[in-house]
Amino acid sequence: MYQKEEVILQVENVNLSYDRPILRNVSFNIHNITRADMQQGQVVSLIGRSGIGKTQLFKILSGLLSPQTGSVKIGQDLHPVKAGEVGVVPQNYILFNHRTIADNLSLGLRGSSDKLSDAQKADLIKDYANRFGLSEHLKKYPMQLSGGQRQRVSIIQQILTGNRFILLDEPFSGLDPVIKDKVIELLVSISTLNELNTLIIISHDIENSLAISDTAYILANQEGHEGATITEAIDLMHMGFAWNPHIKENKDFQDLVQQMKFRI
Amino acid sequence: MVQLQAKQKTDGFRLCWANNMSFIAKLFTPFARLRHSVYIMLIVTYVILAILLWQVFAGGGLIPTPVKIMEAIIRIISVGSFYDNLFASLSLTFIGMGISILIALVICYLSLLPLFHPIAKFIIKCRYLTLTGLIFLFTLLTSNGHNLKLSLLIFGIVPFFVTSLLSIIDSINEQEYELCKTLRMNSWQTLLEVVIIGRLDQVLEVMRQNFAIAWMMITMVEGLSMSEGGLGTMLIKSNKFIDLGTVFGILIIIFIMGVCFDFILAKMRHWFFPYTKLQLRK
Repeated sequence: MYQKEEVILQVENVNLSYDRPILRNVSFNIHNITRADMQQGQVVSLIGRSGIGKTQLFKILSGLLSPQTGSVKIGQDLHPVKAGEVGVVPQNYILFNHRTIADNLSLGLRGSSDKLSDAQKADLIKDYANRFGLSEHLKKYPMQLSGGQRQRVSIIQQILTGNRFILLDEPFSGLDPVIKDKVIELLVSISTLNELNTLIIISHDIENSLAISDTAYILANQEGHEGATITEAIDLMHMGFAWNPHIKENKDFQDLVQQMKFRI
Repeated sequence: MVQLQAKQKTDGFRLCWANNMSFIAKLFTPFARLRHSVYIMLIVTYVILAILLWQVFAGGGLIPTPVKIMEAIIRIISVGSFYDNLFASLSLTFIGMGISILIALVICYLSLLPLFHPIAKFIIKCRYLTLTGLIFLFTLLTSNGHNLKLSLLIFGIVPFFVTSLLSIIDSINEQEYELCKTLRMNSWQTLLEVVIIGRLDQVLEVMRQNFAIAWMMITMVEGLSMSEGGLGTMLIKSNKFIDLGTVFGILIIIFIMGVCFDFILAKMRHWFFPYTKLQLRK
């Protein structure tokens, strides 16, 4: 049993053009999803082909780029998004290479609204590092970590800021199948850390994005129009595909994945 | 038995030949990596070859032979005044470098404020100004020979420092600034984290690269005011008496000192900023 509660992220008629239209009238909402007797955040996917304008939309959603027209509003009061209110995990997992992993994570806490003592901060970092298999890497530099480990550091860094919204740009890109499954496990565990945690995955990897999401939006071009827009919304909760760790083995789910390949 | 030994000998010879050929092929293959010991051996071979060629072709001419230069070097370093001159040159270089890097850093950091950006751009262009034409102006502006040398040195180095530092700032990935924004840092915190702290290691690298310019300029500026001595003064005096053995000896000392400083500054970068070792192509 689940309930779709209030809207917590609202995208309305977002348009972006450079020398040609990139995004056209992009509109969608993310609702607070509640499930009885459990803490359930939201995982929403924005699926589209490479070069369709996903990264531009990613920047607009995070407040790093302003659209020419339209708005992005977040929170229960739906206020316009500002940079710093939405955590961002870019595709290449940018970290500060001159700082150790522990220092990179503590920078996340520095921006947090929770005022903690140094000891509390150190404990919190150790706790997250332990939970996500990074304990032995805290004294290392980002260059010493693998892509998957850097991704985890990048995600935890954003969680530590206290942001409830976290955007992930192509989180499955360049990872082998085993690591992809671990990333899915990690994202699921983050989404259930807090009722209001909302992960927005921007990806061209249909299968893995759908497997983890409760809702998916297709970003594609429509015939006769320039610029990508949301062409379809898929309610995976309604279809019974959400929150199932073994969903990739389901035949109906695989059929949906196959259909989606022709729709993007 | 004899046949077997002959065959083994032939096989051994072939193997050795194949190894040698593969080594030679490696020397001419783009991006091929040599073992460190082999690389050192290659350098030593070049040095020996250069000295031999020099000895053969310079013998009997105006240009002193390596043997004569070695004799000159021994003579130079056995005289006490050499160390006074060396100290004078080193202290002037270090003071000049220190002040130059401070001025260059301030200019570069300020260049991120739109108000000061044109000033930084202008200073970069000052690389094309020749110092010779400005000596008179600097003589009027400074009170003594030491200050004249120091100010000319600083004026000569700063544009090169600023050019290198600004190119570092320009090459910073936009995503680093975006990361700061997502971590809720304001503009000043971003400047501190990304540009100042994040690029300190590269400041040392810029110092290393530009030390050569300072070291090269020192002999020139020392010629303007010889009262304090210095390696430049020694060079000019030896040139005057066409004592080419001493001139070449001093040049070799200057060259070796420069190479040593280059090595020390590179090592310092690794000591102070251990993560820089991880970014090198191994």
